[in-house]
Amino acid sequence: MGFFSKLFKGPEVDMEKSAANAKKMRALFNQVVENGDSYRLIFGYTEDVSRFNYGFVHGSKTKIGNLIVGWNEADGTIVVVPTVPDLSGCGDPVWYRRSEILKAYRNKYPTDAFVIYPDKKGYIAINAYDWLDDENLYVYVSQEEELAAFTDFFLNHFAKK
Amino acid sequence: MPLGEIGRILLALVAVLILGNLWFRLVEWTLGRIKRLFLRQKDPPAWHPLLPEQEENDDT
Repeated sequence: MGFFSKLFKGPEVDMEKSAANAKKMRALFNQVVENGDSYRLIFGYTEDVSRFNYGFVHGSKTKIGNLIVGWNEADGTIVVVPTVPDLSGCGDPVWYRRSEILKAYRNKYPTDAFVIYPDKKGYIAINAYDWLDDENLYVYVSQEEELAAFTDFFLNHFAKK
Repeated sequence: MPLGEIGRILLALVAVLILGNLWFRLVEWTLGRIKRLFLRQKDPPAWHPLLPEQEENDDT
């Protein structure tokens, strides 16, 4: 393969690394969620953008929160587990059962996110992509097939008005 | 424009940049300290480290 064809091809996924991280995601998820194997998994993240104005310095700060998102089609349940890009650990899981949530929809603007309102007080907006290259910010995992399955589940079985 | 003047303008811009950064860090640090003062009583969120892989026994 020539230099230019390689250059124009863009970044390629390291499938070995991706598979290793997918395995770690599964191990972490199963560690904290009972009967974890009955859930399919994707990696997602939340974005918390805040503006600041410190006198003559102003701008915005973005906080990224990495998530392992599991879904069980039969139960109509989504489980969200906070984690870190290197998957060294995870927090406590949060369950979103379709029968218990207030509403859920897919947002198109400003970001393409899966939004769930468990009640009137708060919401979670889950962003998910096939693959994100920045290992310092996001979990390195290729998930084209899983994301398509999650999108289908969310839009056709979980969305609620 | 003479080179000396361009240099002075660039130097002034660098000074503003450094000062802005220092000011940002100082305000962030102060706000962080104040927040920590008020949130001291709260329990830290639970964290579960990834357990080391269990070795599979093939000699059955």
